[in-house]
Amino acid sequence: MKTNWRGVILLTLAAGASPAWAATPPPLPAEHLTIATVGPKSPHWIYVVDYAYDNEIDSRVWLFDGDTHRRIGQIDTGFIPGINISPDGRTTAVATTYFARGGHGTRTDVVEFNDNNTLSKTGEVVIPPKHAQTLAMLFTIGYSADGKFVYVPYLTPAASFGVLDPAKKKVLGEIDTAGCTLVFPWGPNQVSSICESGRLLTVTLDAQGHEASRTTSAAFFSPDEDPVFAQAVPLKDGYAYLSFLGQVHEVDFTQPKPVPRAPWSLVSGAEKGVWRPGGVQIGAVHRAKNQLFVPMHKGGDGSHKDGGSEIWVFDLKSHQRTARWPLDIRASGAVVAVQVSQDPTPLLFLATEKSHLLILDAQTGKLQHDEHHLGQTPQLLLNP
Amino acid sequence: MKILDRVFENGARSLAKRTSRRSLLASLGQVLTGVALMPLLPIDRTARAQEPARPSADEQSCQYWKYCAIDGFLCACCGGTSTSCPPGTQSSPITWIGTCHNPGDGRDYIISYNDCCGKVSCGDCFCDRNEGEKPMYRLSRNNDVNWCMANSESNYHCSVSVILGVAQE
Repeated sequence: MKTNWRGVILLTLAAGASPAWAATPPPLPAEHLTIATVGPKSPHWIYVVDYAYDNEIDSRVWLFDGDTHRRIGQIDTGFIPGINISPDGRTTAVATTYFARGGHGTRTDVVEFNDNNTLSKTGEVVIPPKHAQTLAMLFTIGYSADGKFVYVPYLTPAASFGVLDPAKKKVLGEIDTAGCTLVFPWGPNQVSSICESGRLLTVTLDAQGHEASRTTSAAFFSPDEDPVFAQAVPLKDGYAYLSFLGQVHEVDFTQPKPVPRAPWSLVSGAEKGVWRPGGVQIGAVHRAKNQLFVPMHKGGDGSHKDGGSEIWVFDLKSHQRTARWPLDIRASGAVVAVQVSQDPTPLLFLATEKSHLLILDAQTGKLQHDEHHLGQTPQLLLNP
Repeated sequence: MKILDRVFENGARSLAKRTSRRSLLASLGQVLTGVALMPLLPIDRTARAQEPARPSADEQSCQYWKYCAIDGFLCACCGGTSTSCPPGTQSSPITWIGTCHNPGDGRDYIISYNDCCGKVSCGDCFCDRNEGEKPMYRLSRNNDVNWCMANSESNYHCSVSVILGVAQE
């Protein structure tokens, strides 16, 4: 038998039996444990609030990069929190609850301030144990436009809100809201709450954070006929309250008291009652482009929390629908929260019922990324 | 039928995962203290009574008729029943209400949705149905707030549905 020595050598090498003359690779160098830094900010970063329904005492915020598709870090947010970002984008404020023994024990409510450059807690204010624990929305804690006041709605179930000084880390006072709820901040010292009467109650504060005056808007919706979602959509000059049937009630907050504008509709006559807005965070606006993005679904009465199967895009000036983007919700789940970056080449962020984060080109609707398992129940998306 | 119930329950639970949660509270002056305040309940809501698309007799199913406006974990899956809180929890004295149609007898009933409190989330049988549910500014019809808020132990565990009476025409 003739031996194929070339084949034997090749097989030997392939099997990893290195001949003696082959160089042994150097050992790996010793490693050093470090703490990762947040890095330079990007307009394509998104704060994803996970309410963690299955273990609600353990909610958190993920900071996620929409370009690299990586998690940057996390902020702990306790039990059914209110979360918002300061006007300068540097701080994430969290109104939340902790129990002394984990799931039980004495309740302590606190507003915690987190440095967005380090994702570290920098301070806190203990508040009365009655911050409003409810749906994920932007209006369960809010900053004044100059960042000097923080407002926290209370519910016992009597409704009121607390005024805090975030610089001095102290509670300045509490203002009764006569049954109206939540905080819709405007300007340096104005806070509105939404009322069962279909109106907005607006309180103006003095320099010490105490009530100076209050006014009530005209009624602009009917809670019985076509209620509006309490989770309004911030506009350049106020807020838009979308109704269950798709009416858009824009309210101008630049006036001495909020002034409702003539409503317009997201749906045509044929679509009314068939296609509806729904979910938790039910709209987002690109301020420079005057575009409104809304998750829409087909459904009947009682479907107002159903997520969107499509994203509809509207021009806020003409009130015309400019695009309609169907989604593969069998794969991702329906859309329960929407947010858009504010840069000239914006990204559209969508959180779904299956805990996906979808990232779309906000100009074309093209899907750029589908992040699976971003938390347990992500339902609110924030950016500065 | 049980299999069908589970199919629809799973669908409803998936649906529920995506949305809000929890149960809750109401506007000042409309606060109900559960069964004890039954005479104060508004009762003329027959026209708005909701019938589930696929009624179920299984109280561990989200399609059970009494759950037409519930939002939370079903106590029936957590050691309790549709009318009892699990051992070691506390019932919330304040509630939100709904009006549901019972396909078994053709009547509409006013339902009190109390939360059970003092332990961490049950985490099973999440159910989010919103027939007649209203936003937080109408608190007595809102199922998003934590109705354990007024309890000495205010952690939320699960939700029950208690018949208060027949809705009058």
